[in-house]
Parts: sequence; C-alpha cells; structure tokens
Amino acid sequence: METRALFWGLESFGITAFYLIGFAAIGAFLWGVARAVGKYRRGRPSPVKLDLRTGFLRMAAAVASHRALRRRDQVAGAAHALVFFGFAALFLGTAIITLEYDILEPLFGVTYWKGMFFKAFSLTVDIAGLLVLAGVLLLMLRRGTAHSPEKLDYRRAYLGETELRPAARRWQVEDWVFLVAILVIIVSGFTQEGLRHAMERPAWGGWEPVGAFFGLLFANSSEETLRAVRAVNWWFHGLAALAFIVALPWYKAKHIFAAMGALAARDPLALSRLPAPAPEAETAGAGRMSDFSWKDMLDFDACTKCGRCHEACPARTAGYPLSPRDFILDLRLANDMAQGRDLPDKALIGGVIDPETLWSCRACGACLEICPVGIEHPVKIVKMRRQLVENDCLDPLLRNTLSAIGASGNSFGEPARKRAAWTKDLGFTVKDIRRQAADLLWFVGDQASFDPRGQQVSRAVARIFKAARVDFALLHEGEKTAGNDARRVGEEGLFEALAEHNLGEMARAKSFQRIVTTDPHTFNTLHNEYPEFGAIAPVIHYTELLCDLLESGALKVKKPLRLKVTFHDPCHLGRLNKRYDAPRRVLALIGCELVEMPRNRDNAFCCGAGGGRMWMPDKPGTQKPSELRIREAAELLPLDVFVTCCPKDLIMFEDARKTAGFEKDFVVEDIAELVARAIELDAIALQDLPGLTERIAAAVAQRVASVVVERLDKALAGHLPAPAIAAPAGTPAPAAVIGAPAASGVEWQARPVTPARLPAFDTPARNGARILVPVKRVGALGDDFSFTDDRRGIPAEFFEYQLNEWDDTALEQALRTVEALGGGEVVVVSVGPAEAGEILRKALAKGAHRGIRVWDAGLEDADPIAIARLLAAVALREKPDLIFMGGQSGDQANAATGAALARLLDLPRATLAVAADWDGGEFIRVKRELEGGLLHEVELPVPALVTLQTGANTPRYATMRMIKQAREKPVVFVDASGEDAIWRAARIERLSLPQAERAAMLEGGPDEVAARVIAIIREKMGETI
Amino acid sequence: MSGILIVAEHTRGALADLSLELIGAALTLKESLGGPLRALVTGETAEDFVSALNRPGVDEILVAKTDNPHFDAAVNEEAVVSAALAVRPALILIGHSASGGSFAAAVAVRLGSGFAADVFGLEAAASGVKATRGAYGGKVNVELDFPDKPVVVLTVRGATFKAPEGVGGATVTPLALALDGVKGRCRHRGFEEAPASNIDIGKAEFILSIGRGIQDEKNVPRFAALAEKLGATLGCSRPVADSGWLPKPHQVGLTGKVAGNCKLYLALGISGAVQHQHGMKHVETIIAVNTDANAPIYAVATHGCAMDVFAFADALERRIG
Repeated sequence: METRALFWGLESFGITAFYLIGFAAIGAFLWGVARAVGKYRRGRPSPVKLDLRTGFLRMAAAVASHRALRRRDQVAGAAHALVFFGFAALFLGTAIITLEYDILEPLFGVTYWKGMFFKAFSLTVDIAGLLVLAGVLLLMLRRGTAHSPEKLDYRRAYLGETELRPAARRWQVEDWVFLVAILVIIVSGFTQEGLRHAMERPAWGGWEPVGAFFGLLFANSSEETLRAVRAVNWWFHGLAALAFIVALPWYKAKHIFAAMGALAARDPLALSRLPAPAPEAETAGAGRMSDFSWKDMLDFDACTKCGRCHEACPARTAGYPLSPRDFILDLRLANDMAQGRDLPDKALIGGVIDPETLWSCRACGACLEICPVGIEHPVKIVKMRRQLVENDCLDPLLRNTLSAIGASGNSFGEPARKRAAWTKDLGFTVKDIRRQAADLLWFVGDQASFDPRGQQVSRAVARIFKAARVDFALLHEGEKTAGNDARRVGEEGLFEALAEHNLGEMARAKSFQRIVTTDPHTFNTLHNEYPEFGAIAPVIHYTELLCDLLESGALKVKKPLRLKVTFHDPCHLGRLNKRYDAPRRVLALIGCELVEMPRNRDNAFCCGAGGGRMWMPDKPGTQKPSELRIREAAELLPLDVFVTCCPKDLIMFEDARKTAGFEKDFVVEDIAELVARAIELDAIALQDLPGLTERIAAAVAQRVASVVVERLDKALAGHLPAPAIAAPAGTPAPAAVIGAPAASGVEWQARPVTPARLPAFDTPARNGARILVPVKRVGALGDDFSFTDDRRGIPAEFFEYQLNEWDDTALEQALRTVEALGGGEVVVVSVGPAEAGEILRKALAKGAHRGIRVWDAGLEDADPIAIARLLAAVALREKPDLIFMGGQSGDQANAATGAALARLLDLPRATLAVAADWDGGEFIRVKRELEGGLLHEVELPVPALVTLQTGANTPRYATMRMIKQAREKPVVFVDASGEDAIWRAARIERLSLPQAERAAMLEGGPDEVAARVIAIIREKMGETI
Repeated sequence: MSGILIVAEHTRGALADLSLELIGAALTLKESLGGPLRALVTGETAEDFVSALNRPGVDEILVAKTDNPHFDAAVNEEAVVSAALAVRPALILIGHSASGGSFAAAVAVRLGSGFAADVFGLEAAASGVKATRGAYGGKVNVELDFPDKPVVVLTVRGATFKAPEGVGGATVTPLALALDGVKGRCRHRGFEEAPASNIDIGKAEFILSIGRGIQDEKNVPRFAALAEKLGATLGCSRPVADSGWLPKPHQVGLTGKVAGNCKLYLALGISGAVQHQHGMKHVETIIAVNTDANAPIYAVATHGCAMDVFAFADALERRIG
C-alpha cells in the first residue's frame, strides 16, 4: 500500500538527535509561553466577569469566519486566510502523522497513514502548503511594494515624525522575519518533497502534485547530488520548523496565541459599558503598569500592527497625537521590559504615554470595532484617564465643566431649575413624572436641554410626541446629566454619583413603562451602564419611537419630503449599540432619498465630540473630525440635508458645515425636524387649552397681585407714620435679638466686638505648621427667583451651592504652602448649615487635613463681622501660624470678613493677595493687588492673616472618589447656639430688585443686529469701517 | 456728637478719586443726619492732600501725620478709630477699595458699630442711616438698617457718587496717633507696576471687550482680529485675564484699568460683574451682547442684545469682510 518512510536516510543516532532537539525545542517554546503567562498573571484581575464558553465560541467563530480580517481590507484578509488555514492544515497533518508514528504504531501496532487515506492526505497537505505559499507571497507583495497601505507605515506622521524610530525599525524586521520564516519552511518542505520524488518517482506521485512539480526541477541532477542535497535539506527544513516553534512566544508570531486569548476573553460590551474599577483598588485608574489587568496585557501582545485602528481613529486622522495602534505598541514595549511589574526607570503616564495622547480620544469605538484580535483600546485609555483626573492633570476647561456637573448636575453650569426651561414655549405643559405617571419617561440630556439649537429639536420632538398622542413625562429638575461623558473622561466617582442620583429619582417617580432619549450618549449609558447600579426600565432611542409611530400610523406623512439626504450614524447609537436601521427606515417613510457616505454604519466617522472632548479646547494645528466628516458628505453633492439624530452631532456638524464652507450647499438638520415637516406638524393644533388658560390666569393673577402689593406698600408708606406699624399684616416683627428699632440718639459709645464664646472642641496636638482656611458655601442665584414672604431672604431652592471661588484659591495656597514645607496641616473651617459639610468634604478631598463646622440656625443671614467672631473663636483654639482666606465671597461680596477676623485676633494682615510665599520662617511675603493692577509687596510677621484674590493660583480638582474618601477625614461640629453667639452689625430690612434702566434691546437675527451695531459704531467713531 | 467722617486714601502721592466721591456721598446725608462733615487723611504726606479735600461742604479736615510713607492697614485703622473716638461721628464712610477694605471692617470691630460693605445707596431715615448694597452678582439689592448702633461704618462703591466741585472752607485739625502697638507689623517692600504694554485702556476711545462668554482661549484671536478690523482696542474682563487668555493690561475694571476716555464700549460675552462695571459703566455708549438676557451688564448698557456672541461675531465678520 502507498505510504512513505519518515526520517529518510537517518540512522538511529540521527533520529535520536532529532528527537532530543525536538523535545528541547518544545521545552524552550513552553518556557517562553510560561514566561508570558507569568507576565499576564502579574496583572490585576479582569474587572469583567469571564464567560469562557461563550468567549471561546465567539473566538472560534471570529477565527473561522475571518470576518474582522476581511473587513475594509479584502486583500489582507484573503492572504491571511490562505496562510492561516493552510498552516492549520499542515499542523493538523503533522499531528496525524505523529499520532500514528509516535503513539498508535509503537504502542498498539495500529497504522492508518497508507493507501487511499495516505493519498488524500498527501494531496490535501500539498494544496495546504501551496495556499500558505500563495498567502505569504501576497503578504510580502503587499508589504514590500511602493503601494504598501499607509496604515502599515510605522512613522508617526501625526507627531511630525519623518523617520522611523528604532523600535519601529525592529517592528519592520520582525514583520519580515515572520513572513520569510514561513516562506523558508514551506519552500524547504516542498524542496524535500521534490527531492524525494526525483529519487523515488513513486507511482502515486500525482497525489503530491506540488512535490512532483518540485521533483521535475531536480530531474537532471545526479543521484549523488540528490542524496547529498536531500540529507542537508532534511535537517534544514526540520531545524527551521523547530526554530520557528521556539521563537513563537518571542516576537510577532505570539499573536497566534495572544490574539486567540484576547478574542476569547473579549468583553462584548467593552466601551458601551465601561468596567468599573475594583472597589478595593488603591487608585482609581491605571497609573502604573501593574494597574493593568491580565486582559490588558494580553491585548498588548495580541496586536499585529495591522493598522486598522490607526486608519479608523478620528483623533489620529485629525492630527491629534493618538494612534490606537501606537498606544498599544508603546504599552507593549513598556510591558516587555516591566513584565507585568512596574517600570523601574520611568513613569507610565508622561514617560510611556503622553497625557495629551490620552485626552485625544473621542470614545467613538472605531478602533475597538475594527480590531481583528479583540483589543479594547478605549477601555485602557479611560483607565489611564481616571488616573489623570485623580492627579488633577486636566485641561482647565474640563476641570470647570466637571466642577459644574458636580455642583449643578449639568455640563452647562446652568441652574438645575432651568433644565426644563425649553418646554416653556411649547404651548402645552409637559408632565412631571415625579408627580404624574406616564407611559414614557423622556430623559432629555444636557445638550438637548440647554443648548439653544438642541432645545429647538427638543421642542420639535415634544410636539411630534404630542401630535402622536404619546403619553410622556420628564424628570424636570430631578434629571442630572446621565454621566456618559463624565465616565469616559475618567471621573468615575462623579459618574457613579450621577447614576445613583438619576436611578434614585426614577425609583421615586410615578410609574412609567419605558425611557426614551434623543441623546445617543445618554441612551448608551442608561441602557448599558445603569443596570449595574440598579433596575431601570427599557430604554429606546427616539428614532426607534419615531419609526414605530410612523409605521403604526400614529404619525401620518402628509407631504413626502423628496429630499436627497445623507445620514450620519452617531457612534453611541450605531457602532456601540448596533442600531442602524430605525433612522434609515424613518428617512424612507418620510420620503427622503438616502445617499450613504462611504463610511457608514459601523464604519461611521466620529464627529469628534464624544468621550468628553466636547469640554476640551481643540488643539491648535489640528483639524476637526466634524469638518472631515462634512467634507466626506460634500462629496455626495448635490445634497439637501445632512441628517443627524444626536444633539452633539447637530452642534458639531452645523459648526463644521460653516467652517468648511458648505453653507450654501446643504443644511444640517435633526431627523425630528424632517419628520415634523413631513407630517406638517405646524398645521396640527397641539394646544393644551385648559392648561394654557390656567397658566395665563395664574400669570395675570400674579402680575396683578405684585402691582397691587407694590402700590399698597407705597400708599401705606405715604400715609402711616411709623414703619413698624406700616408693615403689611403677616410680616414678622424684627428679630428679638436686635431689639426694637432705635431712634437716632442712642448714646455714642465704642463697644468693641469680641470673639464669640464657643463650646470647647478637640484640637489635636500640633505637628508642624498649621494653616487655617475659612471656607464658605456660596449660593449662585439663577435667573428666575422670588423672595420669601417677608422679603428678607430668597428660598434655597433658587440657588446652586458651591465652594466659594476665592476660598478655593486660599485653600490651594494653603495646600501648596504645606506641601512645599513638607509637613504640617491645613484646617478648614466653615460657618454654615449641615449642607456646608459638602464643601468641607470637597476641601478635605483636595488635601485639607481636618474640618470644623460651626453653626446655629440664627446665623442664617449673619453679616461678615458676626461670621468673623465665630471664626475668631475657632482660631483662638487652633492657634494657626497662618490664616488664608478668600478676599471675598462670590454671593455677598463684602470683602470684609478677613479684615474683621484679623482685628479680632490682633493679627497682621494683608488683603487681596495674588502671591503669598511662606518658607516656614518668621515672615510671610505677600503681593497685594491694588486698583489698576498695581502690586503692593509687603512682609508680615507670622502669625498673620492673608486674604487671597482669584487668579493667585489654579485650584486643584477633587474627584468625586476623593470626595467620598474624604468622608474618613475628621470634621468637628461646633454648636454656636450659645447666648452671645449672634451679633449683628446690620439688619436686612428688605431685598429688592435693582431698578436699573435697562439697555434698549436690539431685536432681530445676528445679521440685523450686526448691521445696527456697525451703524452705531459709524455714528460714534466716524466712517472708519 | 454727630456728623459724618469720611476717610481719604492715597497711593504713591495721588489722592484716590473715590475719596472725593465719599464727600459727595456724605453730602447727600449731611443735612438729614446733622452735624459736621469731616475728612480724615493719614500718612507721612497727609497734609499734601488737605487742599484737594477742601471741597464745599467739608467742615473740618483731620490730618493724622505718621512716619510711614506707604499704606499700612493697621495704621489707617488706628487713625480712623482715634478720629472716631475724638469726634464721635454717626457715620463713617470709607472707600470700597483694596486699601479701604483692609481696615474698614476692623474699625467696625473696634467700635462695635454698624457695618456694611460696597454700599451704593444711602438714605437717612428716622431710625438712622439706611444703606443699599448688591448681592448675587448684582441680581438683588439688599437694603440694610442698623438698629441700636450709635455709629455706622460703611464702605462705599466707587464711581457711584459725584464729587462736589469747588473749594470749601474747612478748618484743619491735626490728629495725634499712638501707634506703638501697630508699627512695623507690615513692612513695605515695594510696588510692582502692572506689566507695560502697548495697550492703553485708559486712552482708548473705542473698546471691544470680551468676557467669560467667549468660552475658550482659542477664541481670543478671533475677537482680537475683529477688534482690529473695527479699529477698537481689545479689552477683557477679569476672568479672561485671570485665566491668562489675555495679558493683564487688557483688563477693564477695578483691578484692571478704567476706560477713562472711552466713547464706545462693545461688551461681548461679559455678564457685567460690579468690578468690571467699575471700569466702564460711565462710558457714553455701551453695547452689550450676551446670551443671558438677565445679565447685569444690561443695567449699564445703552444697547443690549441677548444673543450668542459667536453668532453675533459671525454676522459682524460677514459684514466687515
């Protein structure tokens, strides 16, 4: 029967030697694998639960289909498939031979590698070898010619590099070594086969067509030559194959294993549901190599540098210093050195990865989507961003935005009360889910609530819902931003706080069945991330609802639009949640002709606003991803509308359309605006008549009441002599502590104010310098507010509270001073109600060591001197070296507490400092800012009191996690309800609105106003422009 | 005893305008409160300012000569307290300035007086002095009175009251101070001029000023270009200078420059904090563009427009090419 002999021409010595070498090679291979596994094991546990069965099946499917490899690069995909499947067949072939030769035959005398099986086997293996050969040659051709794809170029053009860096040269070498090694093994194998054919000319030779062909090449060689070459080539081929195996774990070839591992362990939700940091972790993010998980490290090794992510990344395309490929490769290089431990000689952030690289990401998921080996780039970026946030390595604009979200729950820094202000012009009332049940809860999101253009769309959507009789409600001011961007920026604690808040509001609300949102970012977070924090109703995107309403006939198309449109898939709706069809169906239903951009659906190119980039300034010298996208759309001209279904997209693309110069060519519109036109929404009467009349009546009543009260006030004041009697009924008599209003002629006497007497509280023993920083919780007043009934106050609901900006500057100065001294403590003290505990915690989170809160209900409208008395009592107990405090408060702006406090304590003082340097010695050097920007430099003996002006420094950011952790730090409460605690230097008689003459308002659109302004300029300054 | 005491201030040989405005403020109350109007001036060169302070309505000028050539908060505090104990005024007016703010509240503590800061409205009622000040960024007026206080210390907002013109007939009285307790507690080291610049807000006739509303440093060049095209000097509000987006000489306001010769002021994205208004509210024609329709800037502007500053800038750019 047909078969062939193995180990041709080898004596038993040779065979033994080969086996020994073979075992040694396998040993070396296993050692290399063990080393890599050891490295992965040093990583943190993966924060995502591993489902090995599903993961394995998913990986097997990915490998078998080669789908991800073929996507967007058919040539590479096909060539890889040839090599992969060919090699797999060859590997299987070798295994089949080994099974017979080394196991079944010696042990049981069973043989099967013969006859028909042998012939079929030989043919298969020959073809497999041929496929590998073809694949490798194709890959070499692709890599080696001038037409090599740009994504394979390792030069970092986005960083301005024109030369390859040394590591990149090594990458090129390993790429070629890998290909050449395969080529050599295959060619030497076929050569060996050919030599066998030339010498033995088997009758079944046709079953090894390639071998037979190679045999022809040797047809004219002598037996001697053949014999000699065959012996040498046998060893060459065998040793090459063994060397290939030994080297597998050490270079590019390791992706064979790492990629399969990474694919099997891939988190299917990766970016759409970011993994929460392990609660026991000491840091929030990844600031060191050992902070990465084993999956992260496996990902580093899995990368084949195929460049698909590099090509897809909007940041890299726009000229930002981020290429997901290079990000992973840099981490791999570092981890090759660190081996899962920390880098000995450089920092991970700053040393290996530049912070700017991390901030460049838009969290669009394009890299993750296209990566054929399951690498989760954005997850690692966010992990590292968490560390940047923790280290306060933030763009100032971003820092402000995060602070604003922390204070008022939205990124616009608007009062929470204004969240539903956009509903005012609707003409009908929108239910408040906290009071009335509804079928649908509309979670609006920030842009759709506060951005003027977003509000237009929100109103259109609300009217469409109304026209379709959708029973919907809002959370009104109960809604805070969902936190998608906060989380992707790396402010995990803030995200958690937002999720808990919103879930709490929804849990307390009246019943609803589903949640709808127009914002894909909100959609993603509610749908994928909130379930980890608590139960949540099903979430849909408004395009899905619009589609249902149009298909069910609840909305009727009156006028098909007949527009030629293109559609941009929002990253968070499309790529991250695979919802591609509803908006397209809507466009078809309203009669639009959709022309797709070349990059659509999972390949849609990000607008550049995601991942918190909306809150960061553009880097000079870069392009805007949104402009690149608009240009892509402009290739489709003539075009009527660029359709979006995301509030951020609308803002970004409307801008980009103008800046890219396509203002005359097409418009950018939200899909809801098109739907509104198609159903002729304007012609549908939506008025909520009873509601509206009620509102008008209420408004009129209020107006009448206020006018009457004012007139009544004046009339009474004119006719009645004593103000105390003239006070309208219901106004309480002045507080008893003040005593009756005194007539002039109280005996003139200086009655020096003294520090308050407060109950004793614990003060720890001194340990180095001590700086006391009084901090105030200040209220920012929104646009709509009203006074309390006695007109002496404003209810708390109209305020957004935060740490006084000036005090924040003073705190920063104190912290820096103590840090520079290398020891000591910063003690923060606040006179305020329990809610002021929040700003003390914020101060503690920033680094203050202890907090003291002093309060009594009678202090509600305390004046600066009253506050100074209480602070003085605290200072007398604390005996600080320095008191740093804000030059003024943002709400009352007296700029007086510091001077009063210094006097009460008899301390030298300097006010409104823009610099305060203390080296721990006898004097502190201060620069005071005077009118006109003149600086007055003085020196004060310590102890002293300095008040700080804003701009003296940039206060650091406290993450929500740090604020939570600060709960561990001690805060002492001191009850100020003692008899003499309240002092009043003034009494609020009443509050009023400034009776200012208001500017004459210029009406009309921007162009009309601009024309009017130019006319005024010409009138005043002459015809100079 | 009764009457009003105003406290003059001076820096590097120049009497502050605010000191003369205090006289104007005092005169609005002098008649109803009764008693003389006195002015106090302190320092090594105190008598240099006597003639300037001798305005109509001033009855007596107290001159507290000291040996410190530069401002010292503690010395000024001591002088005001000594003067107050000597003349027992019903009302003490101090400028709401960097200097005044550093000792006014301390005086109030020493006297146990009534106190309010940054006052812009004064009234004499049967019950005594009433004062009006602003709060919450100027959105609310707070009307205060001072029951049971024989004396009230107020700091008065600048550029609010009009200084009387002319020469008065004040007598001059030296005031001796006991300064042993306060001397040397604050050592003067020197002045540092605001950085020199080719920008002169004080001389500019047409200023285009930008505020927090421009959102981002990267937008500054755009408005700078706009200002240049319009022939305007580029000004800014404090937050813009604090953030380092524009150098300090561009800053209009209390700690910046006063737009002293300005005829036309275009405020873009400026909400109009008190400290900014100080530098520009006197300008004849003010045009304010801001998204917030309730911004305090509209209270001082001649023309206003509640509009996105970028939309406005777009339109303006289109018109002037």
